[in-house]
Amino acid sequence: MPVPILKQGALLIATLQDALTDKDWLDFQFELTKLVGVHRSTGVILDLTVLDVLDSFATKSLRTIAEMVKLRGARAIVVGIHPDVAFTMVQLGLTLHGIETGLDLEDGISLMKHPTEFRSH
Amino acid sequence: MQEIRIPICSDTDIVAARKLGREMGTKLGFSSSELTLIATAISEIARNMVTYAHDGVISFAAVGTTNKRGLLIVAEDKGPGIADLSLALQDGYSTSKSLGLGLPGAKRLMDEFEIDSKPGVGTVIKMIKWNRRQ
Amino acid sequence: MVFKDTMHIGNLEQFEGTDVTPGEISKRKDFLQFRDADIERLLEIRQFSQEHVESIVEEFYHHLLSFPDTKEFFRDPRVLARVKKAQIDYFNQLTAGNYSDDYVRGRLKIGRVHQNIGLSFDTYLGAYRRYLESFFLRLFDAYRSEPEKAVNSFLSMLKLVFLDISLAMDSYLRTIRLQTEAIRELATPVLQVRQGLLISPIIGLIDTQRARQLTESILRSIREQRAKVVVIDITGVPLVDSKVANHLVQTVEAARLMGAMVILTGISPEIAQTLVVLGVNLSTVRTVGDLQGGLEEAERYLGYRLVKDDKATPFQS
Ligand SMILES: Nc1ncnc2c1ncn2[C@@H]1O[C@H](COP(=O)(O)OP(=O)(O)O)[C@@H](O)[C@H]1O
Ligand SMILES: [Mg+2]
Repeated sequence: MPVPILKQGALLIATLQDALTDKDWLDFQFELTKLVGVHRSTGVILDLTVLDVLDSFATKSLRTIAEMVKLRGARAIVVGIHPDVAFTMVQLGLTLHGIETGLDLEDGISLMKHPTEFRSH
Repeated sequence: MQEIRIPICSDTDIVAARKLGREMGTKLGFSSSELTLIATAISEIARNMVTYAHDGVISFAAVGTTNKRGLLIVAEDKGPGIADLSLALQDGYSTSKSLGLGLPGAKRLMDEFEIDSKPGVGTVIKMIKWNRRQ
Repeated sequence: MVFKDTMHIGNLEQFEGTDVTPGEISKRKDFLQFRDADIERLLEIRQFSQEHVESIVEEFYHHLLSFPDTKEFFRDPRVLARVKKAQIDYFNQLTAGNYSDDYVRGRLKIGRVHQNIGLSFDTYLGAYRRYLESFFLRLFDAYRSEPEKAVNSFLSMLKLVFLDISLAMDSYLRTIRLQTEAIRELATPVLQVRQGLLISPIIGLIDTQRARQLTESILRSIREQRAKVVVIDITGVPLVDSKVANHLVQTVEAARLMGAMVILTGISPEIAQTLVVLGVNLSTVRTVGDLQGGLEEAERYLGYRLVKDDKATPFQS
């Protein structure tokens, strides 16, 4: 199941689906980095609202994608991580390594409007 | 004595195993955050099966006594096995340039964790989550 | 090791509104040695039991009404008439020969009713004993010529009564569990100060259970209230061990994954010292001396400004 990527102005919004296969992740990575160039996007929001599990494989894939987006000169913000998922990730020892996070899509969009200065935590 | 078994040989099976674990856990009365812990541990173990052993079987069973109930998950494969278990259980150790948090992480997420592995024979992992609300 | 003595417990589906599963009930019956022979014996005294049930119930309520506490429940004569009838049904079921899921469900339900009307467990036990005495005396009288049969029937009855009591206990225990959970929830308040800002003042000792509860309610509130900042104030916490401190750190990290920031305030000198000695790493946690300072920091982060300027409205972004 491919990940839908929506263009909204200078932003790209990707809504991650549950049950992504390895190939889906790779396709998504490829598609997203390509689209950042095509649309000259300044930011990418990765919406994880529907994911009920984020294991080490998914986290690594996500980190890679955010890294690539940054290398392409855009900002990446992950939004919508469920409380239970967040708690589990911490227990497992997973971090998002400096990737910005937001509450939900709305928060992500509003974060994109502001510079990053106060978010050094 | 119902035990449910599910063969694991691809990505989609990983998702199915997670779902099954959630269903079993729900019947045992686990809270939603505990269900997520369980599903994530299953995901890690099942993925290792697919990545390192090609395939295997995961079984689920309710265990315990009247006062203490838990979900037992047994993952069995006939893959290459793990030569150094204590190394494999260390945070960050990986032979596939991955994060190396699957085994140690699953151990942290569950209450009981036992791993038995012989090079050339295979790997068996048994883990239990107890329901604390009993 | 744990895995050796774990037993599979079969059917997982709990009886509605309880923590009990059919698998457990059958194990319980096994342990009570409640067998087919017992069912037969109970069926054999069915007729005897039906003949005497009304006089037994009369004695039973005479007993209940002679104590002020229990009398209180039956002040209304209509209520009394109704419960007497229900009691007759209840006792008749003891010799009806069907002790499977429906029976269990019925007994559990009665336990819940007792809970709802506030009947205590010792009242329940005392009343049941009163029934057994009336039943026993009549049984031995009726089977004077066959004392062995009387004893056996009574022993079978006793097994079933103990099953009943265990089921009633399940209902009581469940209520206690739910109450404990509710109290724990009260003990970890998470309040919204304004849009996007939560505050969680913790008072008293935090054990692992409470820390877990706290984490859960903070993370949940972040999601529900769309909070960007949470100020956790531990001024009222006398001491923190490394386990609880690590739990706090995990809460902060989980909140961050969700897109919210946690500010920890009110760390007393004693706690600060313990944390340093224990080697707890709080470097990833924003700490501010007191609650006031924490709230100011939160306001700044949220982009709200307290401006004395006439043109500016306070708390406007
Ligand atoms: N089922 C298995 N069969 C063989 N080797 C395994 C198995 N599971 C784990 N391993 C080995 O243990 C290491 C650590 O596993 P894990 O903690 O899941 O980290 P990762 O999968 O990220 O490498 C793996 O890199 C692999 O070498
Ligand atoms: Mg792994």
